[in-house]
Amino acid sequence: MSTEIPTNELSANNEITHESTLFAEPIFHIGDFTVTNALFTSWIVVFILITLAVVIKSKLKKVPRGIQNIFEIVIEGAESLCDQVTNSRAITNKAFPIVFTVFIIVLFNNWIGIFPLGGFGLVEMGEHGKMFIPLIRSGTADINGTLPLAIMSVIGANIFGIISIGLWKTINKYVNLSALGSIFTKIKKDPMILMTAPIMFAVGILELVGEFAKVASLSFRLFGNVFAGEVLLASMGAIMAYLLPTPFLLLEVMVGVIQAFIFAILTLVYYTISSTDHEEHDEAKDHGNKGELKEAH
Amino acid sequence: MDSFIETFHIDWKIIIAQAINFVVVLFILQYLALKPLKKLMKERSERIEGGLNDAVKNAEILKSTKAEYDEVIAKARQEAHTIFQDGKKEAEEKKKEMLASASLEVENMIVNGKKVLESEKNKMIEEAKTEIVSLVVKATEKLLETHKDESFDKKALEEIKKIS
Repeated sequence: MSTEIPTNELSANNEITHESTLFAEPIFHIGDFTVTNALFTSWIVVFILITLAVVIKSKLKKVPRGIQNIFEIVIEGAESLCDQVTNSRAITNKAFPIVFTVFIIVLFNNWIGIFPLGGFGLVEMGEHGKMFIPLIRSGTADINGTLPLAIMSVIGANIFGIISIGLWKTINKYVNLSALGSIFTKIKKDPMILMTAPIMFAVGILELVGEFAKVASLSFRLFGNVFAGEVLLASMGAIMAYLLPTPFLLLEVMVGVIQAFIFAILTLVYYTISSTDHEEHDEAKDHGNKGELKEAH
Repeated sequence: MDSFIETFHIDWKIIIAQAINFVVVLFILQYLALKPLKKLMKERSERIEGGLNDAVKNAEILKSTKAEYDEVIAKARQEAHTIFQDGKKEAEEKKKEMLASASLEVENMIVNGKKVLESEKNKMIEEAKTEIVSLVVKATEKLLETHKDESFDKKALEEIKKIS
């Protein structure tokens, strides 16, 4: 699955082509380790973010000025947005560093990928002649870049759940042993438990499958969107260079923000869900409903 | 699964490298930017909150002080008024007292004057009497000197002695 776009024709026999591949192209090796252009871009992003962090640290003042104002506004805005999702400042405080880092990493990767640096790259001999391999490819336009982020988001959310509501309750969300155990304890009181407990156990298994689905959806959504954007820009550039890709470039800037936002917010939602004790929540809801019914009577 | 890995060139080494990238950025952002910035913002908001609370407290203190001041002023005015009234009353009383004592003194003086006058008058009368008697005696003596008659003298002398 690749699209071939001729970028520069030196001669009829010596044509350099560029393929937008689904995977990141290797650009150099460090021993056995192959460094792809997506990984290289990620390193650039890491370098930029570390520099930014050092600059922020060095410019911190009690009375904010210049760049510090911007960072404070961004952080305050992001925290209040997180509060709207979590409904709890305590959860926001715990999850915010991870969610914010996810957002920043994804955003910078998305933007650097569409930065007009496509002309810098290597020319290598491929199966179909000379191939142009760009040095810069968004880290999120490679599944190897989005997969670890998604895995860490989902695993991190479960670790957060264990810390917040305990190991037993977190395990019971997926392998609902307490539901199976309740068959023996509640069968006399409620015979319907014979029907509901296995269903609850099956739901738990579905939740477990759902965790893998979360990883797949997070990683492939981001990868698909960013990769599609890069292909779109390359295609538009092939039709009419400079002029035609410009509006799409602006569109991709927006897509970069939106995708980073979606990834970060979904991560936060997973953190919030995993830190909520559903049994307590349901019991509280039941009590609330009973109270309302009593009041109605 | 193999075709999936082959299609997307999934490489666990790159996945680990990307995960390390994330962890490095997470820690550096957290310890160099987010934590100090949030600490600073928290300190500032606490200071602002403290300042606002202090302002409210100060306003309350000002209000209570003003009320206390007004109360003290009102009390002082009332006290001054009372003192003035008492002073006035006392002065009136003193005045009355003084007037009464003055009139009494005047009365006493008049009485004493009268007494002195009376005694003086009596004294004068007594003196006048004595003088008149002596004058009469002298006149009689002179008269007797001119009319030397012993029986008459004796009679006259006795009569005079009776009178005096």
